[in-house]
Amino acid sequence: MKTLAALKVLVVEDEALVSMLVEDMLSDLGCVVVGPAAELEEALRLAGSADIDAALLDVNLGGRPIFPVADALKERGVPFAFASGYGEAGLSEGHKGATVLQKPFREADLRKVLESLAAQVA
Amino acid sequence: MAAGGIKGLVRAMSRAEGDEVEDLLARLGAAEEALAEEVRRSRALNRIAEAIGAGHDAETLVQTVVDGGVELTGAQFGAFFYNIVAPDGESYTLYSLSGAPRSAFEGFPMPRNTAVFAPTFKGEGVVRSDDITQDPRYGRNAPRRGMPEGHLPVRSYLAVPVITREGAVLGGLFFGHPQVGRFGARAESLMVGLAAQAAVAIESVRAREAAHAELAQRRDAEERLKFALDSGRLGSWELDVETRAYLASDICKANYGRRPDEDFTFDDLVASVHPGDRDRMTAAIEDAIRHGAEYDIEYRVRAPVGETRWVHARGRAAQTADHGGARRMAGVSLDVTERKRAEERQKLLVNELNHRVKNTLVSVQSIASQTLRTTETPEAFRDAFEGRIMALSHTHDLLTQQNWEGASLREIFDFELEAFAARDRIGFDYDRDLQLSPKATVALGMAVHELATNALKYGALSVPGGEVRVVWAVESGETDESPALRLTWTERGGPPVVAPTRQGFGARLLEKGLAGELSAQVSLAYDSLGLACTMRLPIRALEP
Repeated sequence: MKTLAALKVLVVEDEALVSMLVEDMLSDLGCVVVGPAAELEEALRLAGSADIDAALLDVNLGGRPIFPVADALKERGVPFAFASGYGEAGLSEGHKGATVLQKPFREADLRKVLESLAAQVA
Repeated sequence: MAAGGIKGLVRAMSRAEGDEVEDLLARLGAAEEALAEEVRRSRALNRIAEAIGAGHDAETLVQTVVDGGVELTGAQFGAFFYNIVAPDGESYTLYSLSGAPRSAFEGFPMPRNTAVFAPTFKGEGVVRSDDITQDPRYGRNAPRRGMPEGHLPVRSYLAVPVITREGAVLGGLFFGHPQVGRFGARAESLMVGLAAQAAVAIESVRAREAAHAELAQRRDAEERLKFALDSGRLGSWELDVETRAYLASDICKANYGRRPDEDFTFDDLVASVHPGDRDRMTAAIEDAIRHGAEYDIEYRVRAPVGETRWVHARGRAAQTADHGGARRMAGVSLDVTERKRAEERQKLLVNELNHRVKNTLVSVQSIASQTLRTTETPEAFRDAFEGRIMALSHTHDLLTQQNWEGASLREIFDFELEAFAARDRIGFDYDRDLQLSPKATVALGMAVHELATNALKYGALSVPGGEVRVVWAVESGETDESPALRLTWTERGGPPVVAPTRQGFGARLLEKGLAGELSAQVSLAYDSLGLACTMRLPIRALEP
């Protein structure tokens, strides 16, 4: 169990305006932003090896689904949440039931999701 | 013994009593003639009866009857008038004529329900007159009071109603002769018999013609139905509930990927339904058979060759009282693959639209949040926020105009700068325009807005004489680099520039946002001559 302070969060988001907002919110919450990664290759690299506690994943990365990144995080035991305009409907079969942050979201919503992720950090 | 033989014998036996013999001979002669006439009539009657029974169409039949009547009665003219009850009273149509050309009647109106004609058309009985012009019923009706001028000259008159066994008056047979006293009781009884035969024959011909007409109508209706089914690509089918015998039209077979000459049983039908939909389909059929439920279902079909298609089937089970359930089920089937695909496309589009709207809302949220962080007053916030929202809106207009397939680099500049006061002081220099993806269009649209707004507020465009030069070119990649667009925004002639003490929204968007979103390298040089922004954007991140 970790607190949000200094929680290292990988952000995968391909839209500049959105990732800027998420960065600001995370900084306000005291988290450390890793990334943001806008491309799948970069996201996969960071998910596989970067020093991270949790991750926030945009479901659609320039038309490519994010799920390989989610799989890599699962493998490493890194808790993550999806951020999506599609809501839960946009998730693949393998990831149904995962935590979803519905866009747009408030800072309080992000905090709640991050706290639940932090609770899973060993 | 022959009649002439009798005459010779009588003459030989009675030479003495001459007067008596002459009288006897005269009577014998008359009897002989009457006999000959009777034989002739009898033969004619047989011939007519045969002709009536021969099964002609109604017109030929009635003509036969009228011709026969003229022959049997010795009339000069004969006619059949058809009884048609019109909404405004009776009217009579000349159907057939004998002994006179049709033109003899053409100039006259059809007979009316006068005192003379009424008994015939009402079926009350025979009217026979030695001289109709002397009949008390004759000439009693205005305006003509008798036959119209130029009418066939009729004195002897015989009219017989033609009545069915059910009592319906079909019409009347009319016979006339210009001389008086031509029709006797014998003629009358012959015509009554003929009229009865004619009534039966006309009725049977009518029934036959009606049956033919109905058959033809049904055939027409079937043709029309088939045409409608064919042009609507509707297949039709029938199922025997007990034996499960299944009958499918050619189009119905085609809906399941079968040729018209291929066998297609009920088992084949069930087997061709997608396993995921099969239970639902058989349950619906059972429900229709057992409970009379409407069979209305869409399912996937796996044709023997080719792709999975969608079929919409509708039908109903015909309930029979004696059977205590349905004996047969019938319905139609329609290939709805195209509609299903359209529905799926639409669903995707709606989802995609929702996604874009949500993303746009996040963009607006982000712009609001960052503008709030970098402006000192509510007025400054409103000014900057509105400008940025308008920039976003312009980019969306441009993309919508291009069906969201992207836009060219020059178009992005033109759209963002359209309402820009100093746009004539922004010059362009490039060899070829570039087509960009929707994502790159949105990102660069916002970047152009930030550069232009900054120039107008603090940079070269904030003073008269200041200028901006936009130059771009595609650089082929070095050995380890892919091709990239190199774009420079250079301001000259403005006030001396100084680097800002903190990073504003525009600078952040350009230096970090574009870097992330488009894998770009962006540098802002606060040159004393003016701001210079240099972007290096990999082509792979820009192209649609």
